[in-house]
Amino acid sequence: MIDCLIVGAGPAGLSAAIACAENGLSTMVLDEFMKPGGRLLGQLHEEPNGIWWNGIDEAEKLYQRAKALSISFHLETSVCHLEKVDGKYWTLHTDKGKFSGKNLLIATGAAEQSLPIPGWTLPGVMSIGAAQVMANVHRVKPGHRGIVIGVNVLSAAIARELLLAGVNLEGIVLPPRYLLTKGQSEPKDVFQSLLHMVHLAPSHLMKIGGKMALKSSFIRKMAVGTYPKKGFKVWGMPIKLKQTVTEIIGKENVEGVKVASVDSSGNIIEGSEEILPVDFVCISGGLYPLAELVSLAGCPFKYIPSLGGHVPVHDHNMQTPVEGLYVAGNVTGIESAKVAMAQGHLAGLSISSQKNKVSDGEALQNARESVVSTRTNALIHFHPDILDGRRRLYG
Amino acid sequence: MENENVIICRCEEVTFKEICDTLKQYNCSSREVKLRTRAAMGYCGGRSCRSFVDTLVAEFSRRPRADDVQLKYRPPVRPMPFKTLGGE
Amino acid sequence: MKTLRIKKHPILGPDDFRNTVAFTYNGKTINALEGDTLAAALLANGIRSLRAHEESGSPRSFYCNIGHCFECRVTVNGKEGVRACLTPVSRGVVVESGKKLPLPFKDGGEK
Ligand SMILES: Cc1cc2nc3c(=O)[nH]c(=O)nc-3n(C[C@H](O)[C@H](O)[C@H](O)COP(=O)(O)OP(=O)(O)OC[C@H]3O[C@@H](n4cnc5c(N)ncnc54)[C@H](O)[C@@H]3O)c2cc1C
Repeated sequence: MIDCLIVGAGPAGLSAAIACAENGLSTMVLDEFMKPGGRLLGQLHEEPNGIWWNGIDEAEKLYQRAKALSISFHLETSVCHLEKVDGKYWTLHTDKGKFSGKNLLIATGAAEQSLPIPGWTLPGVMSIGAAQVMANVHRVKPGHRGIVIGVNVLSAAIARELLLAGVNLEGIVLPPRYLLTKGQSEPKDVFQSLLHMVHLAPSHLMKIGGKMALKSSFIRKMAVGTYPKKGFKVWGMPIKLKQTVTEIIGKENVEGVKVASVDSSGNIIEGSEEILPVDFVCISGGLYPLAELVSLAGCPFKYIPSLGGHVPVHDHNMQTPVEGLYVAGNVTGIESAKVAMAQGHLAGLSISSQKNKVSDGEALQNARESVVSTRTNALIHFHPDILDGRRRLYG
Repeated sequence: MENENVIICRCEEVTFKEICDTLKQYNCSSREVKLRTRAAMGYCGGRSCRSFVDTLVAEFSRRPRADDVQLKYRPPVRPMPFKTLGGE
Repeated sequence: MKTLRIKKHPILGPDDFRNTVAFTYNGKTINALEGDTLAAALLANGIRSLRAHEESGSPRSFYCNIGHCFECRVTVNGKEGVRACLTPVSRGVVVESGKKLPLPFKDGGEK
């Protein structure tokens, strides 16, 4: 029987698999995507040193290391259920049959939170991540001209990637204000959250914006709380903090969006409506941990908004209260890929130390520290209170 | 927002208004909203809309979100032909 | 209309080394590139609509593109409910869009 089953071949799952195999555990990785790498594959960020973080290359490096360690991979394999048999080992049910193993690591990552907007079921409306994968992984533009709804770290980062790929974008605008878009539809709130990021670490926004793009004059304006009426430009693309899409229109496909100007509380300014012709729309409402399998395994949860919502309870070694069940990566809270890798490495060591009955205290300690330092230095922070959220889990 | 008929649950085409009306009438849990409206009961297993249902329930009941997952996850989390699931 | 294929990319480099693969969608021949998903190949051929909602018939396409939302489900060689966003193209495969169902298929009908 396999020592360790891993669901998810993203940065967390791959890093964990490598650590397990390096410590002599037989390891199997399952993933429903056709390529290993998870959401890392779509990522393309410019590091502060000007070097690009190319997710496809990073995924390939991890995959090659894993292959060299004879880890077995089952791609295009969807895990739909799991069970603990005789209280001893885990069995995964998939569309390609059953797989059993002594330990189970769930590294299923995140899913996108949407923002329901009138007309959003039309073909041509997609999540921002869908556009990222279409352009960077499949090398097809999401359309000829589009607009992004939802101003946040993820939408800004991906809009930039779309521009790099030669996609035409109208800009990034707000969703219409109602109960389900609270905090994301009022210009003053959205502005505050951008401002918070600047205060938190001015360099973060700078880095996301790219050195050339977000000029320091903008940062200064932000810092004193005045922001340009029309919005501002990042990489030549307008981020319109005072414009909202009230409806997506079209018959068989997206044909355009109805936009309107709003005041700083998100109230629509009468007579400001106009129609913009676009053939695709990206919606960005954030990410949440995709923890459905962890839940089926009987693990308790905690609701921690700064980590993206409901997260499985686990300790600082990535072990859950359910014996033989571990978690790593975005399933434990929304953070960037480097944090997921560090968590995966830690989880792999943690599983190995159980099996080998040698508590390699020092290696685990180092791995834990590496998670913390990677987190602190992360380029992208999905939420300003991540550290606080983590404290609520680990004490 | 002008358009209360915006679809919340894409799978079952349940609107914002239907969910809000249900909550106004019954002031109920996410589970009851699901049973009454079919929101989060469709093909995707509620992955796309469960948090909207939870948000609206929290809003109407004025209770904070609980640590427990409100709409229990049920297998299979990916729809499968019965034969594959049953094994034999 | 200009192609949606991204042949050149300033960081990811060129994408011109893939073989073509033909399959059919609703009886029409579609030329795809090896490694494409069904959803990507159809989009590159100008086709967005992948399905009609079973009850209302409203047109649907991929939404999340990573297998979570199940909006892009199509029928592949007779197998229903296949996610076009996770399924690589293969030569000669027969793909049909998801169809509106003829009968009211909900029990109870309470709504
Ligand atoms: C759409 C999207 C875009 C993102 N873009 C960025 C970005 O630009 N920058 C950034 O820093 N972060 C981004 N993130 C955050 C991202 O989650 C992390 O950067 C990182 O990829 C998390 O790694 P992971 O290993 O935890 O999960 P992932 O990389 O998400 O990998 C999880 C894997 O699990 C597989 N899986 C899930 N459920 C099942 C199942 N039931 N059966 C089989 N396989 C399954 C998935 O197919 C996937 O390959 C994005 C996330 C999403 C969802």
